[in-house]
Amino acid sequence: MSPPRLTGALRSFSTVSKKEDFNEQLYDLKTKRLKRRELFAREGLTWQKIVHLCSEHQDNAKQQAELKSLLQAAKEIVGTEHGQAAVESAAVFLFETFHNKDHVGTEETRAIKQMFGPFPSSAAEASCACVARLVAPLGDSRVENFIQSLSSRHNPQRGPSFGRNIAFSYDCYALDPLEELPCSEVNEENVSLDF
Amino acid sequence: MACAQVPLDEQQVTEKGPLGKEQTLPALHPARKEDRFFVPYKSPPEDGSPAEVVFDETLQRCLDSYLHHAPRGLDLATMPSSPAVADMQRCVHRAVFLTFLRMATHKESKESFLTPSVFGEIIYENFLFDIPKFLDLCVLFGKGNSQLLHKMIENIFTNQPSYYVDLDETVPTVLQIFDTIMDKCGLHCEGAAAMEPMKLNAHKQPTAMTMSQQDLVDLVLYLCDSTTTIQAFLDIFPAACSSFHSHGFLSRLVSFYESAVPDLEKAVRKRNFDATGLQEDLWKRLSHSCRKIVEMAQLLLHHTCLQPILEGDETRTSYLLQGVQSAWDSVGRRRPH
Repeated sequence: MSPPRLTGALRSFSTVSKKEDFNEQLYDLKTKRLKRRELFAREGLTWQKIVHLCSEHQDNAKQQAELKSLLQAAKEIVGTEHGQAAVESAAVFLFETFHNKDHVGTEETRAIKQMFGPFPSSAAEASCACVARLVAPLGDSRVENFIQSLSSRHNPQRGPSFGRNIAFSYDCYALDPLEELPCSEVNEENVSLDF
Repeated sequence: MACAQVPLDEQQVTEKGPLGKEQTLPALHPARKEDRFFVPYKSPPEDGSPAEVVFDETLQRCLDSYLHHAPRGLDLATMPSSPAVADMQRCVHRAVFLTFLRMATHKESKESFLTPSVFGEIIYENFLFDIPKFLDLCVLFGKGNSQLLHKMIENIFTNQPSYYVDLDETVPTVLQIFDTIMDKCGLHCEGAAAMEPMKLNAHKQPTAMTMSQQDLVDLVLYLCDSTTTIQAFLDIFPAACSSFHSHGFLSRLVSFYESAVPDLEKAVRKRNFDATGLQEDLWKRLSHSCRKIVEMAQLLLHHTCLQPILEGDETRTSYLLQGVQSAWDSVGRRRPH
């Protein structure tokens, strides 16, 4: 809870600001994650395209097993209550995340958590290993070109971000007392006057 | 496509609609808002297009909640202990500032700009900025970014003078806060309340010495936050000094200092506190508040009394001559005739 603040009182008692009610519903991270997944699913990279890429140069049975394992790991991460489309979309996300990684690093963990919320680390490890086995026979450049040509994560549409040249200072106001607490006053009450 | 050299509020944009058919819309149209979902900021446990800022209420709530809940430098527990959370907090802190900076800029480039009057109208009508937000921005970001904040707030007030009216309406509420603190300390305050007869049971009201420890802590924290915030705002945007001065802020500040500060100081010095270090912390906050009150008084005097005198040519000359005369007198010499 925030400590008592001047601006809190001004918002409550003055008429110059919009009255906001920050109810709990607004803190719903699940809604945010759903929106993020929905946007990701709209991108050009799809599960069918990944299946097609992986089927071209691999042993069919082995490749089918790896793809199935990746879907299973995706299901564990996304949660069992979601349908096939959500699981496939999660598998695409994992493929894109791990296609050039040999282990689950901090960045990958953060990206998965942002997208799906808390997840079992074993599923992330399994998906990373699956993706490594799937892309190994294809060659790095081929996979990279495939991802780059289809994913908007690698092709930002916007121009340079606003403020990148602005020098921002993280300095903040600190306590600057006029004088120290007089030493004689500390614990003065505890001094015994019973001579 | 949008054509350059025309303000965004007048531009028409042709693009593919949801059914793939081309449609022409104003550049600032709700339909052009990116489909995103921003969550409000929660104390630790991007940027967008103008259409984003105006029409996306989740972004506005996100920014607003940050201003509400972001830890100030003076808060008891400022930075999260986890390095990862602290790192994320720093990223959010910068992103929020840059978003507000962008919102306060009506001309980003030769191609992307708004008519100043339309800009003023948009930010005011949609509450993208308001007086409490200016105060929050100053106390959160002002220490190291005062020049940028000054330009930002000045630009907003210049393009939307209604903010001066709002400021004028806010000052009595600010004054009320000082009266409330005095009232909580059982002290008689000046102003409207002073005209009212005293209640017969007024003597039973708690004082700084007798109120609960938590109430005293809250009161000192409130005073510390209020004085730091107002001082930061007046320092960064001195044009606000005249609004504060016109409501007799200086004299109310002086009487508050004379009445409430000695009582609070005495209470902090003499009372016994449960937690170790609490007494010293409260003393520091109270002493810091005193410094800020003095600095506020200096700012008000400087910008409303001294600056106008110093800026007048005739007055400046006469002051200079008086100064020279005083210097001559002080060394015991007479001016040559």
